[in-house]
Amino acid sequence: MNRIAQGLTLVLLGAAALTSTVATKLYLNWVKQGFGPFLIAAGVVMVLLGLLVIVAELRGERREAFADERDPAAEAHGGASDHGADPSGHGHDHSRAPAVAWLLLLPVIAVFVVAPPALGAYTVESTAGSSAPPPDQPRSGRFDDGLAEAGPNEVVAMDIRQFVMRAWIDEERLLAGREVELTGFAVPASDGEGWYLARLQMACCAADAVVNKVLITNEPAPEADTWWTVRGTWVEPAGEISDVSEHEFAVTEMESVTNPPDPYE
Amino acid sequence: MSDRTTPAAAPDPAASSLGDTLAGGWDGHGDDLPPEDWGKRGGQRRTGTVWLFALFITAMALAHAWLSDDLTSQAFLAWATIFTAISFQALPFLVFGVALSAALTAFVPPSAYQRFIPAKPVRAVPVAGVSGALLPGCECASVPIAGSLIKGGVAPAAALTFLLAAPAINPIVMIATAVAFAGQPEMVLARFAASLLAAVVIGWIWVRFGRADWLRLPARPHSPGESRWRVFRESMLHDMMHAGGYLVVGGLAAATINVMVPREWLLTVAGIPVVSVLVLAALAILLSICSEADAFVAVSLTDFSPTAKLAFMVIGPIVDLKLIAMQAGVFGWRFVARFAPLCLAVGLLSTFLIGGLLL
Repeated sequence: MNRIAQGLTLVLLGAAALTSTVATKLYLNWVKQGFGPFLIAAGVVMVLLGLLVIVAELRGERREAFADERDPAAEAHGGASDHGADPSGHGHDHSRAPAVAWLLLLPVIAVFVVAPPALGAYTVESTAGSSAPPPDQPRSGRFDDGLAEAGPNEVVAMDIRQFVMRAWIDEERLLAGREVELTGFAVPASDGEGWYLARLQMACCAADAVVNKVLITNEPAPEADTWWTVRGTWVEPAGEISDVSEHEFAVTEMESVTNPPDPYE
Repeated sequence: MSDRTTPAAAPDPAASSLGDTLAGGWDGHGDDLPPEDWGKRGGQRRTGTVWLFALFITAMALAHAWLSDDLTSQAFLAWATIFTAISFQALPFLVFGVALSAALTAFVPPSAYQRFIPAKPVRAVPVAGVSGALLPGCECASVPIAGSLIKGGVAPAAALTFLLAAPAINPIVMIATAVAFAGQPEMVLARFAASLLAAVVIGWIWVRFGRADWLRLPARPHSPGESRWRVFRESMLHDMMHAGGYLVVGGLAAATINVMVPREWLLTVAGIPVVSVLVLAALAILLSICSEADAFVAVSLTDFSPTAKLAFMVIGPIVDLKLIAMQAGVFGWRFVARFAPLCLAVGLLSTFLIGGLLL
């Protein structure tokens, strides 16, 4: 990989980072919103570095540097390092990068050609059974859903994560009988009955996404991956709440969501 | 388009016009051509490269226009999403690490290190381990920095200890762990202790048994008169190309495993004491999750014992596919073939020890 190629690769990679953050909101499909500014900064740095390298190369700077390097350095390096194992012959000529650097164009292709969507029903189905499990010890004060603060007849809008947390570990069962509003995408249930309203919870990027879902049986299943806001109540289980593996939700109203702002919770 | 999860999040007109803008932007560079040395040695190859990229950008624009809507395989899209996510999440850290490393190379004279880090490697190792707590970042940042530390004259063992400790015990990771394991401060303490212990022990083992020729570090030959900014630029470019290329390799592998290996396979072994620890250690290696996020994943693996979760968080920052690939790019395969197994073995021992004491 010569220096023009390195510079152009960096410019393209930086452009991909900037496109997915500044020009579009694609980056929200992959990483947390908080990463936006860092991605922009990284994109700017890469574009600048790439341009600098290209400009320097076009001015012919490389040849003199190359000439400097050749004589003493090539000799000094010859024996000690493992050139045989390194097909790029790295160690002699610093102006060339190893072939693996071409792979930096893959994220560029991913952004401009594939534009990967947020994870959805496919991921929920293929990770069945690993729905966000109960934390070890329930502690008071760890609920962040505003259920306790809301008036008794108020509809409480919650994340599915918050709902599942309540349903799983709130021994006081505050959720019982309360009208709740949830937003998520539809996932067909693999074993036939009902469907799931699901949302993915992301700590950092899509690679660490965790599935949160509730089972809905009293409404016909909508098309997979369509987004819905549902109102209804928790179906209170008969036995121990911590033994429940799937939390059921009885829907009273549901409304289609055309474009959710952030695909993840 | 209807089977995409977020149809509206992939706005075709904007992106496709962007492809055109890029192609147009490239034409802008074209105005600088031909350079003054047109036709001299290398000139033709450069022109070839420029044409190659022009072709590449055109192909991307065409593929975007015609192919994008046909890419509807759910498994492929999930894979592409995770690959892109890993790459883009790591990118800011990589750029930050590469810039800091270039700044160290260009602006910090070797004598500065000698003031802070003891000359004797045996004593330098713990100092380097503790100073790992100062670098806020994940493992992508620490690989190039360790490389420039060695070039700056720091004992390799100490630089490697820094490389291992920094992504595991820095304040951001500690806070993330504390948030994930709310109410379990012993987990935060155990992670800190086990990671630092492993890093320092590996450093000492390297002092005793390590050989200099396992490390491939091209001493960057810059003439004394060379401008510091030029050294900075060259160092940054060099590290971006090496560490960045391998970061993509690691991202490809991790995304593939993330999509191919269903997590419920894991649940079947969660109850077996030692095996469950080894399984989570293996999972940490394969998934290559950033050290700032791994605590959130660990806490979600509730069927596993605390020691197994600790193994996930101790092994992840010191050995994983992404890291192995990046280390190979910076230090060479001969180094990685010895260093990664050493890290795994010591990391596991440290996990069992600290897990047994604290959890």
